[in-house]
Amino acid sequence: MLEIKDLRVSYGQDVVLNGIDLELGVGETLAIVGESGTGKTTLGLSIMRLVEGTVRGTIRFNGKDLLTLSDNAMQQIRWSQIAMVFQNANNVLNPIYTVLNQIMEPMIEHGLKSKKEAQDRAAELLGYFGLPQNRFTAYPHQLSGGEQQKVLLAMAMANDPELLILDEPLSSLDAAARAEVGNLIRETDKHCAKLLATHDLDTVSKLADRMAVLYGGKIIEAGPSQDVLSRPRHPYTRALIRAYPNMTTVKDLQGIKGQMARPVSGCPFHPRCTQAIDICRTEVPKLVWNQGRHIACHRGGIITLLSTKNLTKCFGSLKAIESVSLHIEAGETLSLVGQTGSGKTTLAKTIMGLHQPTEGDVYLEGAKVDSRGRDFYKRVQMVFQNPGESLSHRLSVLEAVMEPLDIQEIGTEDERKERAIQVLGEVELPRTNDFLSKYPHQLSGGEMQRLAIARALVLDPALLITDEPTAFLDASIQAKILKLLLNLQEQRGLSMLYITHDIAAARKVSDRIAIMLDGKIIEEGPSNEIITAPKQGYTRSLLRAASTLRSTKSTIDEGAL
Amino acid sequence: MHIDLKKEIKESSPGKIGIIILLVMITVSLLAPVLARYDPYQQSTASLLSPSWNHWLGTNHVGQDIWSRLVFGARTSLLVGFGVGILSMLLGTVFGVSAAMLGGLYEKVVMRIVDAFIVIPMVIIVILISAYIRPSILTLILLLSLLSWQGGARIMRAQALSLKERGHVAAARSFGAHHFYIAWRHIVPDLGPILLVEFIYGVRRAVFMEAGLAFLGITDPTVVSWGMMMRDALSFSYLNVWQWWLVPTGVALSLTIIGLTFVGHAAEPVIEPRLRGAEVA
Repeated sequence: MLEIKDLRVSYGQDVVLNGIDLELGVGETLAIVGESGTGKTTLGLSIMRLVEGTVRGTIRFNGKDLLTLSDNAMQQIRWSQIAMVFQNANNVLNPIYTVLNQIMEPMIEHGLKSKKEAQDRAAELLGYFGLPQNRFTAYPHQLSGGEQQKVLLAMAMANDPELLILDEPLSSLDAAARAEVGNLIRETDKHCAKLLATHDLDTVSKLADRMAVLYGGKIIEAGPSQDVLSRPRHPYTRALIRAYPNMTTVKDLQGIKGQMARPVSGCPFHPRCTQAIDICRTEVPKLVWNQGRHIACHRGGIITLLSTKNLTKCFGSLKAIESVSLHIEAGETLSLVGQTGSGKTTLAKTIMGLHQPTEGDVYLEGAKVDSRGRDFYKRVQMVFQNPGESLSHRLSVLEAVMEPLDIQEIGTEDERKERAIQVLGEVELPRTNDFLSKYPHQLSGGEMQRLAIARALVLDPALLITDEPTAFLDASIQAKILKLLLNLQEQRGLSMLYITHDIAAARKVSDRIAIMLDGKIIEEGPSNEIITAPKQGYTRSLLRAASTLRSTKSTIDEGAL
Repeated sequence: MHIDLKKEIKESSPGKIGIIILLVMITVSLLAPVLARYDPYQQSTASLLSPSWNHWLGTNHVGQDIWSRLVFGARTSLLVGFGVGILSMLLGTVFGVSAAMLGGLYEKVVMRIVDAFIVIPMVIIVILISAYIRPSILTLILLLSLLSWQGGARIMRAQALSLKERGHVAAARSFGAHHFYIAWRHIVPDLGPILLVEFIYGVRRAVFMEAGLAFLGITDPTVVSWGMMMRDALSFSYLNVWQWWLVPTGVALSLTIIGLTFVGHAAEPVIEPRLRGAEVA
């Protein structure tokens, strides 16, 4: 019904939309999602032909190219077949007419109805959208924001349009009004196609069948909305979802590094992307169909950084880990949760090559890891369980952080020192000469752990394996360390394999959780699913036994298996 | 966590005595040309003289000044001792640590060789070989070193095996470090105190061996040595020369060995801190 091809809109030098392709079928709801300033509103206005900039490309509506229609012909379509609900309700409504009159206006103007019919229809619509009868003759300024929004919706629906463009229809409403208006939008006229421009993912999940994510004037990911929201495949989409407060995600909020910049060469997201490679800087990725999703990314979306396949390690007759297959995507945290002795550390050490696997393989960015040389260790680093043990008592703070660089023979002595000091700053340790010359036994537990993290980060790895990084720390320092790790993930796109026995801590930091028992992964999935709908009895018992602040006499009884 | 070797030695009085004896011996051998009043090899017709102002300890059967020979003998003793001590410690460390680090067939081969040497009595082999080649000082040092590193290697291997499992070694490996780097930066420094104790016992053994071989007359006869002096003195035991010829030499040798033993013993808690038990109780 609506087909947009290569739509480009610019205001002077400023290119707002840069080659948009999309299709919308009858009765379908498509959400255009993006941060403010990505051109969502411009897209809606372009379809209405109300945009002031230069528009190129084609917008086919029922076979007609809207961009080549005469103004008159467009006038016929606007408000009768295509209607739009604008963002700022109180600016759009004319302050000197009552709301009922304003709704009647387009019907009469398009000569569709007589005045009487129009009045009835307007009253019916206002009633449908839940405006009390006594408010029909009110002036816009006498209405609340929610009521104004309802008036706008009634106005847009007045001529039974085939396409309704909704620009942030719910964002000015409070939660209760949002739910009510949202329902109304969903229920109204199932044959009417809706184009929903919003930054609000809740609106998307409630209203949209499909969603398209807009960034830097381009669609970077598109697909069925439930699918995209639960398994985002473009780094930007994932970052957007991580930054959105909601009741589904259990991980702490995370921002996106940097700021939107325009114009940029190559992929519009590359300055903020943590998996950008050379081609991303020079060439614009095309939106292509890739495993059930449209994605515009040179790397085919979020890459799988490390995976293991049937990894088994036996110590004599003891199978410490058995047939472990898991994968870690770039920039995500996978938590490995299990009790002591379940094989978590063995798995980590086997991945690191500190143990030789009995069977199975490790793959780094899809390539099988045969022998681990310096290149492997540049990409994958580990923070060991006990920082006091893992730091040599003979090396000072500076020497300890420089050690990986010394081993890898990176840079000159001065460059190494500079880099080491920079990383110490990143983990929020002091950088005074006094501190740099301290020895591990002069540091507190939290400082030692930070030092161990700094040492692992100094090579700028893509994956950090952290083995119970907070096991020796009290809660307040643990919180700081976890925050630090999350920040590093946001800034560097660090992937993490977070090993812990504490599922309560894991849920705050991880995108996915894998439960390990007796050397096997017994359950694995997105954190929220593992937390809210565990499938295995063992997972449920872990959750019951997890820390809580509520009085738990009954749960403890239940938990005692 | 740290074991302070200096403290261990200082806190035991035998340790202090041992250090003093060793310092005296070392000073004497270093200052030998000054302390000696004659060339120790210079023969003269004035043989078998009693002690006098000119010859503090008299002269021997070929008219050499015994005091001068005693002083130069300390040089030989300590040179062989420290030479063998250092060399066998190096060999022991290299083989012990490399066996621990590399493992596999290499480790098996090295450790079986070590076992083989440990069961064969070293003295017999040294006597047999020396009897044929009449070793110079350098050859003697090499020979003794080759035959005495095995015990140390065993201890180094055991220590390195346990140090290898330390967290900081695993961390260094996870930065991509090679065996050599790990051995040099993370294992050997922690072996330090044990190396020292091994070294001291190595020196003692070598001093003893050198004297013994010289006594048997199977070392280089042109080098003055306490063992050789005692042998010569013994052939004149029917005269009263033993008082200034045999006794001072024997005392010098014994003191050196006692000094080394004291120091070694005082440093031993470094290897086995449980030896300090008495203090605690």
